[in-house]
Amino acid sequence: MTYRLKKLYKVIAVLGVLIASPSSAHATVNIFACTPEWAALAEDIGGAHVKVKAATTAQQDVHHIRAKPSLLAAMRQADLVFCTGASLEIGWLPILVKKAGGPNVQPETEGWLMAADYVEKIGMMEHADRSMGHVHPEGNPHIHLNPHNILTIAEVLSTRLALIDPDHRADYQANFARFSDAWDKNIVTWQKQGAMLNGQKFVVYHNAWAYLLQWLNMDAAASLEPKPGIPPSAAHLEKLLTTLKGQNVRAIIVTPYENRKAAEWLSTRLNIPILDLPFTVGGNTEATNLTRLFDVTLGTLTAQKVHKNE
Amino acid sequence: MSRQLLLATLSVVALNTSPALASNQSDIDALRAEVAAMQNAYQSKIQALENKIATLEQKQTSQIAAIAPAAGTNAAQSIPATSKRRINDNSFNPEIGVILQGKYQNFSEKEGDIAGFALGEEGERGDEGFGIDETELNFSANIDNLFRGSTTIGLHEHHGETEVEIEEAYVETLSLPYGLHGKAGRFFAELGYLNSHHSHADDFADRPLTNRVFLNNNYNDDGGQLSLILPTEIYAEIGAGVYRGEDYPAGGADGNDFGTWSAYGRVGGDIGDNASWRFGLSTLQSDKVSRDGNEDTVNFTGDSDLYIADLRMVYAPTGNNADQELSLQGEYFYRDEDGTYEDSDAGTGAINYDGHQSGWYAQGVYKFAPQWRFGARYSELYNGDTPTGLNGSALDDGGHDPWAAAAMLDWTNSEFSRARLQYNREELANGHEDNQIILQYIMSLGAHGAHAY
Repeated sequence: MTYRLKKLYKVIAVLGVLIASPSSAHATVNIFACTPEWAALAEDIGGAHVKVKAATTAQQDVHHIRAKPSLLAAMRQADLVFCTGASLEIGWLPILVKKAGGPNVQPETEGWLMAADYVEKIGMMEHADRSMGHVHPEGNPHIHLNPHNILTIAEVLSTRLALIDPDHRADYQANFARFSDAWDKNIVTWQKQGAMLNGQKFVVYHNAWAYLLQWLNMDAAASLEPKPGIPPSAAHLEKLLTTLKGQNVRAIIVTPYENRKAAEWLSTRLNIPILDLPFTVGGNTEATNLTRLFDVTLGTLTAQKVHKNE
Repeated sequence: MSRQLLLATLSVVALNTSPALASNQSDIDALRAEVAAMQNAYQSKIQALENKIATLEQKQTSQIAAIAPAAGTNAAQSIPATSKRRINDNSFNPEIGVILQGKYQNFSEKEGDIAGFALGEEGERGDEGFGIDETELNFSANIDNLFRGSTTIGLHEHHGETEVEIEEAYVETLSLPYGLHGKAGRFFAELGYLNSHHSHADDFADRPLTNRVFLNNNYNDDGGQLSLILPTEIYAEIGAGVYRGEDYPAGGADGNDFGTWSAYGRVGGDIGDNASWRFGLSTLQSDKVSRDGNEDTVNFTGDSDLYIADLRMVYAPTGNNADQELSLQGEYFYRDEDGTYEDSDAGTGAINYDGHQSGWYAQGVYKFAPQWRFGARYSELYNGDTPTGLNGSALDDGGHDPWAAAAMLDWTNSEFSRARLQYNREELANGHEDNQIILQYIMSLGAHGAHAY
């Protein structure tokens, strides 16, 4: 090692040591939310004391996001990184945190909240191989469509906000209490409404719906993707056509960001409708917040006359 | 297993203790019945025990499941209960990734020299025919809460010989405050757009003429770099680095001073939800350079200063790039050099040189289906005035501005595999008309970090 390299390492080490106490006084808590559902929840629980940046919209596939400049700028300001975790954002979040994240928003710190760490996940794997497609060995990360999970995360978030911004602890607790009361009542309504879906068969594009299906005891008859993350192929669709013929499939569910072509192909041949569900907040004009997201989702799924795509 | 063994032993013991006494058939039958009864009794007892164990196990898992989320909610400060994941001894091993890149290349021209410019080894045109091109081995891991380390070992084939190169070996900071980020060791310096990217992430099978000529594909020298992202709404970043001055376009560093340094500034942002952009200016300043090019036949000694402007824009309908995306990118290079050039093949001797060279490239890549992309690129170089002493040498462009055009089509099965077909038309000197076909695959095995913008 040359003298000046040594000197450089020293400079960097000194800078590293300078990373000292986390600052406690916050005017507003800047929240970097990876997806619209967590952004919405952060607004609900944080209220006036937070400023939320949603890194993605409902029209974007959170698996495929670029670590673009605006996200670096947002990460630079973040006091709390509120994402899904379970490798959902692995293609872009690590690069943002490494490059622009401060010491208070690193993994295993107060400013790092990965929702999937706090709920029971579906499909955890002891063994994973890339031949299985884009799999998440940590379990299915699309946890937000089970409203029980939302409630769990809301509580975690309120606790976390109180830690980051202790001055407004009471407000965060009150916001959570209000949210929780309303949400509990909503869950009862939604479950009543969704009872008719029990055992009904649905075709999905990607296993992004696993938690919704599990919650309402719906049956996932098939995925349009041959393997997670691999786009639908003609051969796979032909196979689906044969296996699904005669099965009483209620509908094909698609998200706003998924290509509808494969769904349309199967829909016409099997004569079953396509249901465009919002998937997350902002997924359509009606799904303006978390409550509306579930209202619209349940409403669409249970509608007697479902829209047929022809 | 042990249960069967136990039963077998019991039966053998039972039979062996009474062979002499069992003189008649009824005794034997009675004994058999007894053994069968014993067998049954043990079987049911064992069954009962097994059931008990299973129930206990179930209880335990459901208890763990109940605790895990609760632990998180009660004490969010004690980070989540990921305790259910098995921790093996190898959990702290570095992430290991391997990039396999294979090529088939066919060129219509025998030579690939660029008139007016001397090329470093990696900036040269590759070899014809089949080749495994470049194999990258990457190891990286968080070292502790402050540092992350990464090294990339490149194995290259060069004229039939395998060369090992430490492409990168650096430590970087993980959590500096105020938007600071530091790197030290050997790494791809932040210069323009392409330089800081590994070739496996490129949109074309080769680098544009500008990066081949001015940066020998990549400038990766030993040194340190510090960057700062400003606390602004719009993305703004500044950074600077100091280097040993060994890698092309530097070279011959004596290692005693900060012979080479770089600086850059960048801004970027979004245009609605659909588009994003980044613009940057950067420079690489190398003093007391002594570098060889064109297979060690051309030597430059002196000061070499490089200035780069880069622009990149990415557009996708609703910002959803899964099905469709258009990326546009271009860089402009300007190099100012003061020193002497010598072409030993042309026997020029060392000729005083004080001049500049420049060049640019522009490219567009369009993803028209989830797995398919089409791209086109054009690059062109301009040589300034050549001193008369260098007439007829490699530094004499003969009044021709070298240019190259490329078109490519690639197929990406998953984010880990890609195959590409590329056609190049290069006119690098007077009378030089090279038609090139390149077939390429790029495969990523094991751990593969996220790609930058």
